[in-house]
Amino acid sequence: MSLPIPPSARDGITPPDVEPDELAPTPETELAVEEVAPAAGITTAAMRRQRPLPKLADPAAPLLVVDDLRTHFRVSSGTVRAVDGVSFRLDHGEALGIAGESGCGKTTTALSLVRILPANARIVSGSISLMGIDLVPKTETALRRYRWREISIVFQGAMNALNPVRRIRDQIAEPIEERLGESPKVARKRAGDLLELVGIPRKRGDAYPHQLSGGMRQRAMIAMALACDPAIVIGDEPTTALDVMVQAQILELLEELRRKLGLSLILITHDLSVIAETCDRVMVMYAGRVAEEGPVDEVFRRPRHPYTQKLMAAFPNIHADRRTLDVIPGSPPDLRDPPPGCRFAPRCPFVMAVCREVVPPETTFSGVRVACHLYPAGSDGVPVTVPPPPAIDEAPVAATG
Amino acid sequence: MATRFILRRLGQAAVTILLIVIVNFLLFRAMPGSPDRILARNPYVSPQAIQQTRERWGIDRPLIPDQLVRYVGATLQGDLGFSFAQRGRPVTDVIASRLGPTLLLFGLGELLAIWIGLALGAYAGWRRGGPIDLIGNGISLILYSMPYFLLGMILLLIFASTLHWFPTFGMTTIGARFDSPVAYVADLLPHLTLPVATVALGLIGQYSILMRSSIIETLSDEYITTARAKGITEDRILRAHALPNALLPTVSLIAINLGYVVAGAITVEVVFNWPGLGTLTVEALSARDYPVLQGVFLVLSISVVLANLVADMIYGRLDPRVRS
Amino acid sequence: MTTPAATVDLAPLAPTAPAEHLFRRIVSRPDGLFGLVILAVFTVLAAVPDLLVGPLQTAVTATGGRLQPPSLAYPLGTDEIGRDLLNLTIHGTRISMVIGFLATAITIFIGGVIGIVGGFAGGRIDAVLMRITDFFLVLPTFVLALILAPIISDVIGTGSTMLGIRTTLIVIVIVVGITSWASCARLLRAQTLSLKERPFVDRARVIGAGRTHIVVRHILPNVVNLLVANAVLTFAGAVLTETTLSFVGLGDPFQPSWGQLLNAAEEVGAPNLGAWWYFVPPGAGIVLVVFAFTLLGTALDDLLNPRRRTRR
Repeated sequence: MSLPIPPSARDGITPPDVEPDELAPTPETELAVEEVAPAAGITTAAMRRQRPLPKLADPAAPLLVVDDLRTHFRVSSGTVRAVDGVSFRLDHGEALGIAGESGCGKTTTALSLVRILPANARIVSGSISLMGIDLVPKTETALRRYRWREISIVFQGAMNALNPVRRIRDQIAEPIEERLGESPKVARKRAGDLLELVGIPRKRGDAYPHQLSGGMRQRAMIAMALACDPAIVIGDEPTTALDVMVQAQILELLEELRRKLGLSLILITHDLSVIAETCDRVMVMYAGRVAEEGPVDEVFRRPRHPYTQKLMAAFPNIHADRRTLDVIPGSPPDLRDPPPGCRFAPRCPFVMAVCREVVPPETTFSGVRVACHLYPAGSDGVPVTVPPPPAIDEAPVAATG
Repeated sequence: MATRFILRRLGQAAVTILLIVIVNFLLFRAMPGSPDRILARNPYVSPQAIQQTRERWGIDRPLIPDQLVRYVGATLQGDLGFSFAQRGRPVTDVIASRLGPTLLLFGLGELLAIWIGLALGAYAGWRRGGPIDLIGNGISLILYSMPYFLLGMILLLIFASTLHWFPTFGMTTIGARFDSPVAYVADLLPHLTLPVATVALGLIGQYSILMRSSIIETLSDEYITTARAKGITEDRILRAHALPNALLPTVSLIAINLGYVVAGAITVEVVFNWPGLGTLTVEALSARDYPVLQGVFLVLSISVVLANLVADMIYGRLDPRVRS
Repeated sequence: MTTPAATVDLAPLAPTAPAEHLFRRIVSRPDGLFGLVILAVFTVLAAVPDLLVGPLQTAVTATGGRLQPPSLAYPLGTDEIGRDLLNLTIHGTRISMVIGFLATAITIFIGGVIGIVGGFAGGRIDAVLMRITDFFLVLPTFVLALILAPIISDVIGTGSTMLGIRTTLIVIVIVVGITSWASCARLLRAQTLSLKERPFVDRARVIGAGRTHIVVRHILPNVVNLLVANAVLTFAGAVLTETTLSFVGLGDPFQPSWGQLLNAAEEVGAPNLGAWWYFVPPGAGIVLVVFAFTLLGTALDDLLNPRRRTRR
């Protein structure tokens, strides 16, 4: 009897042919969904947070304070210092955008908040204070209390983030049943309410993820994130996989929900335009650290950190004159062995000697926080001038006749 | 579930069975000695039966298409020829008398194996790297590397010959009389235990490896991360999220492997002298009883095709993406 | 979760596995190491059995008592005609390994041609080849082998030797080869398909590389890798199949493989008689070889399979 099992369980297996679903909405129906009125009886007040605060919460404390968070990954070739000293604060009702290129640590930061990290990752130091409760020292079991009920996540690319073999409504009802202890009937009804809140007809809850379009899946994920009435919703690139029209709808939806429900939002994206539209404050990250942070208006109009400036410049402006695309030469550092001092130094057009050796301290002025040697401690927002190149004392070597 | 799906699969199964019958036909013709001579050589078949069969099989007609069509027709009517070794008894009779014990042995073994093997594999894969996983995986791999009959011989040696806990062969005690069904079952069970244990253990080795591998692949799927972020307990994530998805490729693989399992089951019967299709096959082989051999081949092939069909239906129930 | 910048896999795969580098990577894994060691040990045993235990004992040259348990003179006991089990088992290594090797060659050849051609050609050719493959997968190939054996015996003739192996065993080789190729074909097709889809093939085409160039420089080296991993696993399967076929009586008592020894043990009633030494040593040989080769094959597949590597 020969050995029949292929090494990988999925190698060479084609499931019976998948038939396309005739019911999948076309773009026209996608837009039409917006016009479905939410069920009567759901008022803003009814949706405001009705559940009590967690037992240990301090009502006077700010919603979220992250202080010097460091999350490292152990890999075979060393330790990747993916998040290396990140601090920020989120107040009730605020929308904070975290921007930066791939690999800068923004997603890891967000996942560290609820500690959904792969096995080789660890929060090595820092604190995460949710309403005054430090989540870092909590055990896994204690921490579970806060997942989804206080902080929930809307992942990107909801095709894979939703279980393909379970109905949408059941997936939304699941946390209501499991975490809030409601009966299945109540949970299903509330799931239906949530679907309508995000603009999906209640009946569509019977569908499976593959039967919905990308935009509707994202809405479903948002409905799911709201299931336990959390204090904070984290959006991890929630619109990246969508086309521009749908993206606009989703952003509008998020804005509307924020108003209605008094949500606090952390939006992670590499797309600055999304942040410009939706967020109150923005935090720019680079190579595991915070480069700059402040109100969106201020940071976007007057970027202080050279990296932020480059980011803004790299964004083509449809109204401005045509010019060559401004790119940042080089690439982000290897986080297993980051450079001492400022991590942007190798690519910075304003680099000074001190940048390569000393980690730039964070300074705050005009409501903006920057970590750059151009703005040393006590700065008032005017960048330190880069010293001119040294005068040439020696005469060039002349050929003697 | 879409009727279109069911109909299509039924159609495919029918075509496959037809192809198998045709292959059987070709094999029969390729046997050493023509069918006519084989028939004539069989001293136990009456001349009338020979003549009837010659006409039914159209032996004096051209091979294709006449003989082929007649052969297929005859097979579909249940005429599989006559056995040499069993004095001209119709092959269908011979097979029917041995089908029950094999179904019992194999059926029980499969049920046990699916239940235990999949559960073991799921837990091992979920807690990957733990001591349970390593030991369990090691044992599974060793079981998987062992021919079923070897496992049977070892179990027989230990539990029957040495410890005398179980009888050493047969399905029931020879020459025994049973007053009631209960008495029959009471005698059957000890005889049944070791063979079923052998088949089950061999299959468990296979299925647990399959399931473990499948679960490990689902571990890296994103909806698992979503479930964790929702704060669902690990136990529930395994049961309600990982398992239903991991079952999909596993079901397909189990179905594909059925053809190979047949070989193992045959040899187990030999070790324990179990009066089923397996011992029939080996007896027919040594007696060069080709009609019986081909009859068994046909029956087993059709069973595997049907089992695959059932597995496809189950897959369709499990995976909504297929149903539409 | 977001380990530094996951990007599209740009590098072609072939240059990363020169033989020596691969060897080191295999040996660094416990399963690869174990597999290689066992392979080495049994290859030695198979290559020079006469040096280790003398020529194969026959009924004429048997010197021991019948069915004697292990003793100092006969460390593995004797069989029912007095032959030394140690002698028989070690000679059996050669038979089993050679049959396995030859059968694997046939299986890989047929399965490789069908799987890779199907995967490459796509379209109707692929559909037809896959129908055939699926058909073979469904068949109980074991019973088919039993039926085919006498036919092939007829064709080849009996009693002589080919390549130092008696023709009865050649029959087994052929029968195993032509009935086991289906799962190999399926695997190779799946892997070929995923190779075909890799971006570097498209990129090569875009810059104008001709079809032959693509096939030779990029695809073939990876295909060789796939074949190697599959061959090892197929070998394990072939040994198992041959063992089972010999067990039901297709083996040759004059050149006993391990399966044949098990057959003999069963016929004598060794398990009933408690003569464990008759079937445990050949059985252990089978389990070791199959186990080790399965581990080695899985290790190779881990290292060489392009689909696996993208997941890491």
